[in-house]
Amino acid sequence: MKLVPRPAPKAFEVVWVSTLAVLLAFLSSLLLLWLYGTPPLEAARAIAGGVFSDPRGLAEVLRRAVPLILVGAGLALAFRAQFWNIGAEGQLLLGAVAAGGVALFSGIEGPGLLFVMALAAFLAGGLWALFSAFLKARLGVNDVITTLMLNYVAIYLVDWLIHGPWKGKSAFGFAYTDRFPEAASLPLLPGTALAWPGVVLALLLAVLFAWLLFATKLGFEVRVLGENPEAARYAGVRALFTLSWVALLSGGAAGLAGFVEVAGTHHKLLAPLQISLGYGYTGIIVAWLGRNHPLVAVLTGLLVGFVFAAGDVAKVALATPFQLVQVVNGLILFFLIAAEVFLRYRVVWGVRRG
Amino acid sequence: MRKFWLAAVVVLWALAFGQQEIKAGWIYVGPIGDYGWTHAHDVGRKEAEAAFPWLKTVYVESVPEGQAGSYIDQMVRQGVKVIFATSFGYMDAVQEAAKRYPDVIFAHATGFKRAPNVATYMADFYQVYYLNGLMAGALTKTGKVGYVGAFPIPELKRHINAFTLGVRAVNPKAQVLVRWIYEWYNPAAAKEATEALIAEGADVFAFTEDSPTVVQVAAEKGFPSFSHYSPMLKFAPDYVVSGQLVHWGTIYKDFLAKVYAGLYTPKNLEDVDYWWLLPQGAVELGADFGVPINPKFAGRLKAKQVDHPIFGKISVYDLVMKLHGLMKDVELAFDPFQGPIKDRKGVLRVPEGLRLTKHQLETMEWAVEGVVGPWPNEPK
Repeated sequence: MKLVPRPAPKAFEVVWVSTLAVLLAFLSSLLLLWLYGTPPLEAARAIAGGVFSDPRGLAEVLRRAVPLILVGAGLALAFRAQFWNIGAEGQLLLGAVAAGGVALFSGIEGPGLLFVMALAAFLAGGLWALFSAFLKARLGVNDVITTLMLNYVAIYLVDWLIHGPWKGKSAFGFAYTDRFPEAASLPLLPGTALAWPGVVLALLLAVLFAWLLFATKLGFEVRVLGENPEAARYAGVRALFTLSWVALLSGGAAGLAGFVEVAGTHHKLLAPLQISLGYGYTGIIVAWLGRNHPLVAVLTGLLVGFVFAAGDVAKVALATPFQLVQVVNGLILFFLIAAEVFLRYRVVWGVRRG
Repeated sequence: MRKFWLAAVVVLWALAFGQQEIKAGWIYVGPIGDYGWTHAHDVGRKEAEAAFPWLKTVYVESVPEGQAGSYIDQMVRQGVKVIFATSFGYMDAVQEAAKRYPDVIFAHATGFKRAPNVATYMADFYQVYYLNGLMAGALTKTGKVGYVGAFPIPELKRHINAFTLGVRAVNPKAQVLVRWIYEWYNPAAAKEATEALIAEGADVFAFTEDSPTVVQVAAEKGFPSFSHYSPMLKFAPDYVVSGQLVHWGTIYKDFLAKVYAGLYTPKNLEDVDYWWLLPQGAVELGADFGVPINPKFAGRLKAKQVDHPIFGKISVYDLVMKLHGLMKDVELAFDPFQGPIKDRKGVLRVPEGLRLTKHQLETMEWAVEGVVGPWPNEPK
């Protein structure tokens, strides 16, 4: 058996290989649950029932998907420019910190508060990423390392704030800030826990990024820079300028995810691992599965959101231990990523004679 | 005996009114396989399930704070009527869910916000810590006792203060050296902290962290320690002196029996706040269940004599047993935070003849004399 590279796959091939991967992933997950002792049909019924039977269950998929789409669409843009931003988690946290700071200390009242929080979150996440982009473009510092390491700086920044200067008076000594004022809460879709402006924001941003990438000069430069840096330089693409925009936008999108999490769900700052459930890292998979296309990242974000929500249902409805849920989540993502191989390579059976 | 009567009343009630099955759900912050908080709650859940034939239980573990609401939704969808949320961080999620589901009963551990259908509960160790402190004070040769703490929150400050008061009651010059690791579960950090404390001269150890690490590290060097939360005697049978143990099942059984009997309804829980201590059997002194003091240390504790203001000349062993007996009494004939008590900056915190209220205990930020080390949010 040999793997032979093949030219860019056609759209229908992408669709059917991906669909097959998703189906296989779900089947193998059910098999795993069966081995654990849960009858597969019952598992499928319980999960489908828990997710699709009422608006709260369905809204949960969207609630998990929103930060993934925001992060994923931004990373799609970054990866196109070969800006290897592994730091969305930190950018998300910085966004949460900025939004929280505005909510707690700015004194702004009324609907303007949410707007300023979002803007601050975008800028904070964007600037956090911009730093790595600058180091890469000017000094050739490896962006994987700097973006990744800045995640830890962000984590400890949040920890320091909630244990130190921003610790809430109403938190009974626990490590939380005070609750944000009411005006800092995103409105919820009635009957659910879903902050609907987050959905709108995620979709708008995905469309905006797709438009930027495929219909503007900046997007063209991004793609050229990513696909052939030498040619880009030859053609006069300003690497620092382009990378800076890409970093600002992708970090900013992650920052907005942080804003949606604190203004829509938490309403305070809390332990960094509680603010983000690893969305900054899972967003990498969302972008990658979406073939670095911001609009496809919406679909993959929804898919991963569904996987997470289904896992939550299984934990309660089937009493599946959380370790098994995480194994299943990992298994599904593994299938999806493994399917990529079959899009890039053709399998040739038997030994080929040259 | 009390348990028997409780059970008898419940059974009679059930026979008389034929109430149906009750489904109760637990929301856990950690994995049930940890060696501390969540494990202990899960032991309590199983105890309740085994005690009552009419009770069915479900649980979900490792629930992030932002997800608690959605797990509550799912439990309610499955017909769960009583929900126990076992972490402070779930407070707002519980309040919101309680409004969403006015017919469901909620009980929130360690919180302070109640509602007609939200009760709060806590099993606290501060009395037990005092007793452990007495023994630690008798056993230290260097006059330095080491304490590895998880987070500098009022709960731990209260415990360390009670512990230190005990140490100094036996050994007035002794110090309690405190190190924070800023995690509930982190064996590596606990090991480092213990080694640092050993380097500073500490020779007896107590801690708040969800693993037996401190016990093991201390035992390697031949130092005695006090186990925390779960029985840890088996990890170092020659070195664990005593410790604090919890029985959440005591609270769960009482609460659920009263729900079943119709005493607790989704309309009358506004004032239901369990603050259960030694008298209610929610906590226990011991290195293992039923072993209040490791017999291997009985000799040393009996040999150490102190001059006690109430009991006169008495061995530490007898003092622990006497005070243990008094504090198990419902009348609470003795309390560790009995005035006068000054904090380590010299401010009088408990005036002569007074004790602290529950609220003062729950919000304690000051440090008693004898506590050495960083103390975030210490009042000026």
